[in-house]
Amino acid sequence: MHAPERLDGLRVVATPDALDHAWFEGDVVVFRIAHDEVIAFGAVVAEVPDEHAIVERETAFVGWGLSYPEFDDLVARHVEWPLPTERPALAQGMAAGLPVKLWFEHDRVLLVVSSGFAHEVVERFRLPAFAESVKKQDTRRMRA
Amino acid sequence: MNEFVETLLELTWHEPKSSYDVVIIGGGGHGLATAYYLATQHGITNVAVLEADYIGSGNSGRNTTIIRANYGIPESIRFYQHSLDLYSTLEQETGCWIMHATKGLLWLAHTESAMRNERARAMLNTACGAETVLVDPTEIKALVPQLDLSGGGRYPVLGASYHIPASTARHDRVVWAYAQGAMQRGVHVLQNTPVTGLIRDGDRVVGVRTATGDISAGVVMSAVGGNVSQIAAHAGVRLPVRTHPLQAFVTNGYAQGFGPIISDTELLCYISQTARGQMLIGHEYDRETSYSLQSSFQFLQANAIKMSYLLPFVRDLKILRQWTGRCDVSADFSPIMGFTDVDGFVITTGWGTWGFKAIPAGGEAMAELIATGRTPELIEPFALSRFAADHAMADQGSTGTR
Amino acid sequence: MRFALDDQPVDFVDGDSVAVAVVRSGQHPQHGGALCLTGDCGNCSADVDGVPFTRTCLTPARPGLRVRRHPAVGGPPLQLDAPKNPVQSPVHAGVEVHRRHVDVAVIGAGESGTAEAARLRADGREVLVLDSGNGDDVVGVYPGPLVVVRTPEHMLHVHAHEVVIATGAAEVHPVCEGNMLRGIVLAGAADLLRSKGVDLGTTVTVDIAELARFEGDDGRVSRVVFADGRTEACDTAIVASRTKAPRDLLARMVSDPNVRVVGPAAQRFDLPPAPVDGFVCPCSKITVGDLQMVWDKGFQHLELVKRAALCGTGTCQGGVCMPHLRSFVSDKQGVEAAPFTGRPASRQLTIAEAAADVFLDPFRRSALHDEHLKLGAQMDRFGGWWRPWNYGDAMREYWAVREGVSLGDVSTLGKMIVTGPDVVEALERLYPTTIADIRPGRSRYVLLLNERGHLIDDGMVCRESDDRFVLTFTSGGAAFAEAWVRDWIDTWGLDVRIMDRTISHGAINVTGPLAGALLQRVGVAEPPKFLQHRHAAVAGIDCHIMRLSFTGEASFELHHPVAHSVELWQALMEAGRDMNITPHGLQALFALRLEKGHVIVGMDTELDSTPRRLNMDWAVKMDKPDFIGRTALARTADLPDRRRLFGFTMDGPAPTEGAPIYVGDRIVGHVASTFTSPILGTAVMLGWQKHEPWADTVTIDGRPATVAHTPFYDPEGARARA
Ligand SMILES: Cc1cc2nc3c(=O)[nH]c(=O)nc-3n(C[C@H](O)[C@H](O)[C@H](O)COP(=O)(O)OP(=O)(O)OC[C@H]3O[C@@H](n4cnc5c(N)ncnc54)[C@H](O)[C@@H]3O)c2cc1C
Ligand code: FES
Repeated sequence: MHAPERLDGLRVVATPDALDHAWFEGDVVVFRIAHDEVIAFGAVVAEVPDEHAIVERETAFVGWGLSYPEFDDLVARHVEWPLPTERPALAQGMAAGLPVKLWFEHDRVLLVVSSGFAHEVVERFRLPAFAESVKKQDTRRMRA
Repeated sequence: MNEFVETLLELTWHEPKSSYDVVIIGGGGHGLATAYYLATQHGITNVAVLEADYIGSGNSGRNTTIIRANYGIPESIRFYQHSLDLYSTLEQETGCWIMHATKGLLWLAHTESAMRNERARAMLNTACGAETVLVDPTEIKALVPQLDLSGGGRYPVLGASYHIPASTARHDRVVWAYAQGAMQRGVHVLQNTPVTGLIRDGDRVVGVRTATGDISAGVVMSAVGGNVSQIAAHAGVRLPVRTHPLQAFVTNGYAQGFGPIISDTELLCYISQTARGQMLIGHEYDRETSYSLQSSFQFLQANAIKMSYLLPFVRDLKILRQWTGRCDVSADFSPIMGFTDVDGFVITTGWGTWGFKAIPAGGEAMAELIATGRTPELIEPFALSRFAADHAMADQGSTGTR
Repeated sequence: MRFALDDQPVDFVDGDSVAVAVVRSGQHPQHGGALCLTGDCGNCSADVDGVPFTRTCLTPARPGLRVRRHPAVGGPPLQLDAPKNPVQSPVHAGVEVHRRHVDVAVIGAGESGTAEAARLRADGREVLVLDSGNGDDVVGVYPGPLVVVRTPEHMLHVHAHEVVIATGAAEVHPVCEGNMLRGIVLAGAADLLRSKGVDLGTTVTVDIAELARFEGDDGRVSRVVFADGRTEACDTAIVASRTKAPRDLLARMVSDPNVRVVGPAAQRFDLPPAPVDGFVCPCSKITVGDLQMVWDKGFQHLELVKRAALCGTGTCQGGVCMPHLRSFVSDKQGVEAAPFTGRPASRQLTIAEAAADVFLDPFRRSALHDEHLKLGAQMDRFGGWWRPWNYGDAMREYWAVREGVSLGDVSTLGKMIVTGPDVVEALERLYPTTIADIRPGRSRYVLLLNERGHLIDDGMVCRESDDRFVLTFTSGGAAFAEAWVRDWIDTWGLDVRIMDRTISHGAINVTGPLAGALLQRVGVAEPPKFLQHRHAAVAGIDCHIMRLSFTGEASFELHHPVAHSVELWQALMEAGRDMNITPHGLQALFALRLEKGHVIVGMDTELDSTPRRLNMDWAVKMDKPDFIGRTALARTADLPDRRRLFGFTMDGPAPTEGAPIYVGDRIVGHVASTFTSPILGTAVMLGWQKHEPWADTVTIDGRPATVAHTPFYDPEGARARA
């Protein structure tokens, strides 16, 4: 199992319609966390067709990449609600008393929490701790 | 033979009449205590207490029986201390065994800000006549050797306020003791008699409607617990009261072995051992408003884990039963007692999660108010009119477990 | 294979429950009472491996188990100091929860349950059948519906679209003289025992309708006396009655449109004949005589009988007594008495089982948590966060702020970006202060009021451009404030974008007379002026610098992407080394702000604190057309005010916070915050006073104190602006 990674990206608030048509440069995973809000991990540039969109750098999250057996063993049994079956899919909710975001890919699940809770994730799910091996990412300007 | 079977009390029932001087809606502790004091202190016995189901079927027969006076504002401390004093002589006065036991109450603090609150509480309580001292972890450990002072490594105990005269009494017996005393003096208690409406004559309330007929009354008092908004609406009175469920649970009965009452100011849960040996665990009320009496498993889960942090020994105790009451929570977390804008209609409400301890003093004061037509000084601060006048008796920090 | 019963060995064979093995050995798991062996009565319950009240008929026998009977009188002892799993943290205490999401859960694998499951499956529905016979002991059916199940290995939470309760009917226990003897079993139990090869000796079978009493020697049944006077000798009495009772505890527990009850559990059965003698409630040792006594004393309602005689309040929750209690009351009152309410738990669970895999609210750590620890901070939890309380010496930290430069971790503040066409309108309605005239680059202190005009939070409004603002809220109030702002803007239907930044941005407060100089060293040539704010790089990190002051000295809050908190903190500490830079914790902060008379919401304020009561009318513009709380403030403006927050000073050390304030011998209020100010040479306080009328001199802690204007320190605010 791997140590968690800090996830860098952009957080965008815009009209739902604008978010449906937003474009992010590069290899990006987009979490639609609310009808009017997304977090695009890996993004540094965004185009959002809403002149009032708020586009901000987001560095507050950490993620653990888990194989399905690891996920089932350590995390799934703490989830009281039904998990999505389609892939990829985002699910958000409480697990083991923590607000988590779960990103289901074909071969792995990404468990994402805000870094302020990372220590609790380690204790509650018995996942490996956060090592300070954060890859530096420079703050480039983004287009809104 | 079980030593806790009721052997002393005797209830005498009467046939209903169509008119009384005073009709009290609600056969809970407050309704019955008011009837009792009307009879014993004011000689007013042409009184009926109308109970929708059986006496004590509301919160008075469902509560966790904690009697304390460690409130956060002087007016409340005085009122509850008086009630606490009345409780301590109630067995003598009524000749009933209400299982009154003085246990002391620890309010645990886990943070500096909680310590600050408890320090303040102890000072103000002492100043107002309710014996409360600040105790440190060593003293706490001496009082409750079972307590894990590290709080499971998560909720370390920094200290507590220790309210020495806090006590408990068997809830049903308190209800019955007042019922017996009132009934013996001629008060009519009518069970299975829900009040379905109020009879008005112009601006005055002059009686109540029931399924079995109208009953006229000189004064109508509402003491219906969590149903108060519905009854008050019949009188056209709007109350700053919301009804919230409050849950609790008990374990099976074990041999006696746990002394004081423990309450946690952060986890908002509390525990004591009943006379029958059950560990009784309660919590702050449910956040959502509801009239539902169904219990939730989430409640059991949360309290089970909280108690495991504080008192590791509880882990192997078996849970016997959980239940729920309907609490009339006022906007400022203090009771509402007294007159309304409507003549002939008085109320006692806002008892929320804290009204069992208030039954003697609340009943006594309401009886005096009805008998004399004047508000006794002790309850003046708790008039309904305080809300319109913007003089709330705000004391959220003393509700339930805090 | 053996286990121990009261320290004596008991042999068992594969497939035995503890109760069956005990009966096989010629004994009884308790001191007596008829056995059902189906988990319905509790007459077999004992302490198993330190857990009293375990139903031994549902406990598979295992080698080495330690079984103890409960004492004949009184409850089993509380095992006060011996938790079974003495681990530091109750988290991961051993019991796991498994979860299932199913279409239908059918409780009961008897005739009705099996038939119902088959019918549902034929309709293509997914069905999970739960039965205690298979180890699935249903504890409760809760709203949801949620079925909570105890299995020998773990807890199971079943979330179902539909729950079918098919728990069938139970045999009725005998209630008559002698019913607490050993050697009495119900018919089903007899069948089970025989199937397990247990020798029951000579048996006599009797229907309760024909039963008069049991007689015995040494506590064991030896004769059955029939109603017609016949007596038959036996080793084991088998009670086989035509009368049954619905096993409906679960059904009486929940009312939910998605929960159905089928089969005998839903049916009405004739009640057994009214009991005249014997123990009606074996759990609590209640006799028919007890019922009669309380009835005669006026407890003439099933619930009153139950409560006065404690019948039905024991371990089995009415499993034995319910039909008899109902029959007793029905017979007296002439109408059939309904059963009492069913409540969880049906089959008992331990507190550890209820607590399994449950986690409480997490504690938040700021990104600087480890930095604080490295600096020797004593941490305390405040508003859901771990925060430095002090770094060893709060007074040293205090002086660093007053005379040098200090850092404070204010990452916990609520932060929010708002923008959009209606943003000014929205903020005008949210706050009692004027917003429209704040110029870009400027900021303003604001109150947040509720509809009653009571203060619920405070913070800053920083205008970035015509239509973009950054808002801050208190650390403890942030979560509530976020919901509050979103709810109101939604309710008003205004076109505003909202992005919460509370967890996304760290914030470091650089404060003290040397704060500006420190900023110059880390790349901010011209730090913003008082109440100005702007974006700039600090030590190479993009920051939003807000100049304000809570401590009373020049203060710059540096808001920055949270991933850079450590880097920024270290750079500031390094740059300020020769200035003796010292971080400060909450303890020093509370003192510093008190000298300035700044209120902390929740600490100094009360539930109903209006701006007027806090002397903050200046922060309210009643001439605005509308804002939340305006109606209430307008209504109460002319009412006499009875309580107000005052500043007080007194000689000598500060009294304890919470100390009552006296005028003569009357308590007129209490002290909210106190500090012995070294710089002012006096104790400073904020305290509440009742209008009786307002007094200028009061007594606190037995000493005179006088009302004083706030701020106590630097009233002109020259230092904050410097
Ligand atoms: C779980 C729980 C724990 C608690 N713990 C404590 C504690 O430890 N300490 C403490 O001090 N307080 C506690 N309380 C609060 C306390 O129980 C109540 O505040 C108190 O019992 C209120 O008494 P009452 O007489 O006003 O209301 P109730 O006892 O609820 O009586 C009201 C009565 O009115 C009847 N009624 C309702 N509508 C009508 C109608 N239309 N017509 C006729 N009758 C009607 C009801 O049936 C009921 O019997 C607790 C409450 C609960 C639920
Ligand atoms: S014998 Fe075990 S519950 Fe009846």
